[in-house]
Formats: sequence, structure tokens, C-alpha cells
Amino acid sequence: MWNKQLARLATQYPTGVLSVADVEGFPASVRLVARLDIKRRVVTFPALPPYAQGWRGKACLLFHRHNSRLEGLHQMVLKGELVEEGGAVALRVTDFVTANGRTNTDEMPHASHPIHMLQFFLLGRRKAREYERKRGQPWPPIDYAEVERLLRED
Amino acid sequence: MPALQLPDEVAAVLRAYYTCEVTTVNGKGQPMTWPALAYYDEATGEIFFSVSIAFPVKAQNARKRPQASLLYSDPTGSGLDHAPAVLVQGDATVAEILKSTPHATALNKLAQQRQPDSRRFLASNLSRRLFSWYLFKRIGITVRPRRLTVWPNRDFSQEPTMIEVAESEAANVE
Repeated sequence: MWNKQLARLATQYPTGVLSVADVEGFPASVRLVARLDIKRRVVTFPALPPYAQGWRGKACLLFHRHNSRLEGLHQMVLKGELVEEGGAVALRVTDFVTANGRTNTDEMPHASHPIHMLQFFLLGRRKAREYERKRGQPWPPIDYAEVERLLRED
Repeated sequence: MPALQLPDEVAAVLRAYYTCEVTTVNGKGQPMTWPALAYYDEATGEIFFSVSIAFPVKAQNARKRPQASLLYSDPTGSGLDHAPAVLVQGDATVAEILKSTPHATALNKLAQQRQPDSRRFLASNLSRRLFSWYLFKRIGITVRPRRLTVWPNRDFSQEPTMIEVAESEAANVE
């Protein structure tokens, strides 16, 4: 489903990473300039790299960024289908996905935003419990003494 | 597993780029790409990263369909300004990290070096307890490269160079 807020945020990225599965079934990716056509709800590519010329079908487009301390993390993925439209290749978007579980921002939670951290904590804990339920047995106890030892070692 | 014989500038990218873009494909053929911090084990040629059990999609996809790729295309923080972009395609194996392993330990150290603030988070007893599902309950994904595709100067408008990785022998640059 198209998401106006995330689409607007996506326009701020100079490039994105476009991925498909190649003929052998391996995923393949390129980084390229992507333009969101808000009116038509598609993404166009002013210069599709030679490596990606033949790509069609299911695809995704990742936008992400971080600073030199791996902070200020932002990320979102647009899922969709690469199609030919008017002689050019476009991504027809079917869904916007964020890693933070929110639909209005691509900013990853950070300790400096306690509300975001709380939301992320609740989401993560719920999903981790789902995983453990499916797993059939709880995760083994964490060896915190080992964690302390590794922290001291560094 | 034998080490990969890679051109220096390619090995430097696998070592130094802070993040790469990992792609797995689900059962319906839909690729999904997320950034990841990955550890390149030069001795074995393997690339290792992990995901929290709360967000296991990459691992679940790779379990069903082991073909995976990692694109190294963003040099932010690495100090490598004119380095190439590298696409690694390979076979993934997936395993829960139930005790410390050399790969998991190396990845943790790398994360703390590259993201110094994460060390403070890890050092807090409260954070450790509240976010154990994120920090410690993790699934490891190890990728054995089969093919590397290299774009000098990260110029995707050019035809790339391919490096095929033959099993149990050195890489061949075409």
C-alpha cells in the first residue's frame, strides 16, 4: 500500500539500493538514483545501470543512511514489481516497510528518544516471544558473566 | 573453508565498510533488502552477520532459500573514499547463536568499534535485561561467497568486473 509520509521521506535520499533475484535465483543489487513519482505512485530510474538493464518482476528498493559513528540510522524498503512503462523501467510499489514497525518515519529508535525506545522494546519483546513460542522451547539463559568478560577484554 | 584470493581493494571493502545491504528472497520470490553490519572472516572467506529473533525474516528466508547477497555500496565511516562497490552472492547457512562462537564474538567487537554508543548500551545492566531479545537472542547467518561483482569507484554506470569463486581454490578474476 502506498504511504504518503514515507514516500515523502524517500525523496530525500540521493540514491537507493534496487534488488531482484537473478536468473540463477541469487539476489542481485545495484545502487542508483531513484525518483518517486508521487502522483503515479511509482518509482522511476533516470539511469538504470547496465548490470540491471534486464531486471523485471518482483523487486525491492532500500533507502538507508547512517553517520560515521553508525548512529542516526534511517531505513525503509519499498516492495514492488519492476515493469516497463513507456519504454522505461519503473518500480510499481506494493508496500512500504520500516524496520522500526512505524508507518510515519524511517528513523530507527535511539536512546535519546525514550518513547521510540519504549515502542521498539514492546514490539521487539512481543515478536521475540512469538519466535520462542514457535521454537517450542525458551532460549537458553544468557551468560551475563561471559558478556562482562568480553566487555572487560576490549 | 579456504581463504578467498581477492584483489586488495576488494578485500579492503569487505573489511572496512561499516554496513552492507543484505538481500534474501522469500518463498514467493520477493527479495527483501536490509542494511547489516557484517564480519568478513579473511581466514575462511566467509561473511557473517546476525539478526535478532524478534526480526528473523532474513534468517527464515535464508533457511528456505540459501541464496543470499550482500552489496557493499556505502563507504560512510570506513575512510575509503574511492573504493569500489562490491556485490557478493553466495550460499547462506543459518544457526541460532546459543553460545559464543568466534564469528559471533568478532562481530560483537566490530559492532562496538564501529558504533561506540552501543558499548554504553551493552554495559548497562538494565539495557541488557530489557533488550536481551535484541542483544543476545540472535540468529547467525554465514555466507560463503560464490561470485563477486565489482564496480570500480562505485560507478554503477560502468560494466562491472566479475570474480568467480571456485570451491576450494583461489578466486579467478575475469
